[in-house]
Amino acid sequence: MVTAEVGPPKGTDIKEMLHHIEVLKGKIDAANVTDNQSAVMRISSLAVCQIVKENGLEPILQMTCRDRNRIGLQADLLGASVLGIESVLCMTGDHVSAGDHKAAKPVYDIESVQLLQVVDGMNNGKDMSGNDLQGSTNFFQGAVVTPEANPLQPQLIKFGKKVEAGARFFQTQAIYDIDKFKTFMEHARQYSTKVLAGIVVLKSAGMAKFLNNFVPGITVPDELIEELKAAGKEKALETGLNIAARHVKQLHDEKICDGVHIMAIGMEDKVPTIMERAGLL
Amino acid sequence: MIISKKIDRKKLLETIKDYNSFFLVGCSECASLCGTGGEPELEELKKELEAAGKKVTGTFRAKTGCQVLGTKVELKPFKDELADTQVVIVMSCGAGTQAMVEAFPDKPVYPSNDSLFLGNMTRFQMFDERCSLCGECILEQTGGICPVTNCPKGLLNGPCGGTSNGNCEVSPDIRCAWVRIYDRLEKINRLDDMKKVIKAKDWSKSQSPQVLSARPKKEGKKTK
Repeated sequence: MVTAEVGPPKGTDIKEMLHHIEVLKGKIDAANVTDNQSAVMRISSLAVCQIVKENGLEPILQMTCRDRNRIGLQADLLGASVLGIESVLCMTGDHVSAGDHKAAKPVYDIESVQLLQVVDGMNNGKDMSGNDLQGSTNFFQGAVVTPEANPLQPQLIKFGKKVEAGARFFQTQAIYDIDKFKTFMEHARQYSTKVLAGIVVLKSAGMAKFLNNFVPGITVPDELIEELKAAGKEKALETGLNIAARHVKQLHDEKICDGVHIMAIGMEDKVPTIMERAGLL
Repeated sequence: MIISKKIDRKKLLETIKDYNSFFLVGCSECASLCGTGGEPELEELKKELEAAGKKVTGTFRAKTGCQVLGTKVELKPFKDELADTQVVIVMSCGAGTQAMVEAFPDKPVYPSNDSLFLGNMTRFQMFDERCSLCGECILEQTGGICPVTNCPKGLLNGPCGGTSNGNCEVSPDIRCAWVRIYDRLEKINRLDDMKKVIKAKDWSKSQSPQVLSARPKKEGKKTK
């Protein structure tokens, strides 16, 4: 199983996004459509999911609890359901302070674990207040986890709660240390849920250092930074793609998890390259 | 206590620019501890207003400025000063200001402070927020540390993915509320509490405006 991302743009020009959808179509199993990613205002995830679907790619609706209360979230879930969107990824969402509307009032009426409960309830014909739905949803609902959170134990407890709340699949934060990830998977395998390992392409040694210093929950091991440095500036991206492909291949060959979620961050057209080099295409 | 902070003086002077005489009301409770409405601050504002060419007819520090009836009684000896003033400036919290609005139906009443939060005093004039008055306490489930208040996202079921060496992603200077809860539950041997899913909150319990009568039911007025 391979998933990637389609990032809705800020504005009504969707040419580049349509190009990304075209590149990914037929190659990956599904594409996550981000929901005002990093709290930066963009086209709504629901609208773009519909476009993704119309263009022949399976969408995964990312839903955060930052911008809508329980009424808005449930209304959009029903809307997604009637549009034929089948998968939903439930998240709390980055805080507004990370985005481009810092004065916004963050909602957080409910959070990720509770949103999973809501989806489970709607799949069983009930809204959050226990009212009967005239026609239930039939979502395949998932959640996110940070396998290298520091400290890890509280994160693992939350992982268990997400499974209990109905998460049937997980997409992880970016991982770069496969041995560490194997340890996480030993824990995850106690539960009957699917795990897709998060892969973020390293574009340079500088980016790797940035991730280490500024993005919580992501650790790029020193030997990968050295590998990128040794490649030199011109070949850094190629090396980054090779590292991603190598990790995807190892995860696949050793059946460490159930698939990968490739976050290309603006380089969606490189996703097929990674898959080819990993021997998946 | 209610934590307050002085409003920018320029803004206050702009608000009152059309008036010449003022009566200042401080408060002996929270505002005194915050350094926003005690005797030194009453004196300080009096001097600043006089320096700006204004008249201060009197100053008064309420025992408990949000106690409406009691403060009205305390104000009785200031009849003359109050008769001479055009405006009342209240140096406490928004509740204190509105108590004075009730006491002075025919005079403008202006605040000199912004009201910030319900706070704990950690050291002299240092405060932090631990309770956000949500109306439905969950501290018994979270090791006595409130995630509604201490987590910027108000997460009820564990940390987000942004914990960095145990600190908060949104406010890097503070400890992640859920790491604190985890550590505390471990210490008191109650980690299983964290494994139970806490259901969505009933926010109607904290819907403003709230009214409460704590009187015994027989003589109580309408309760919510």
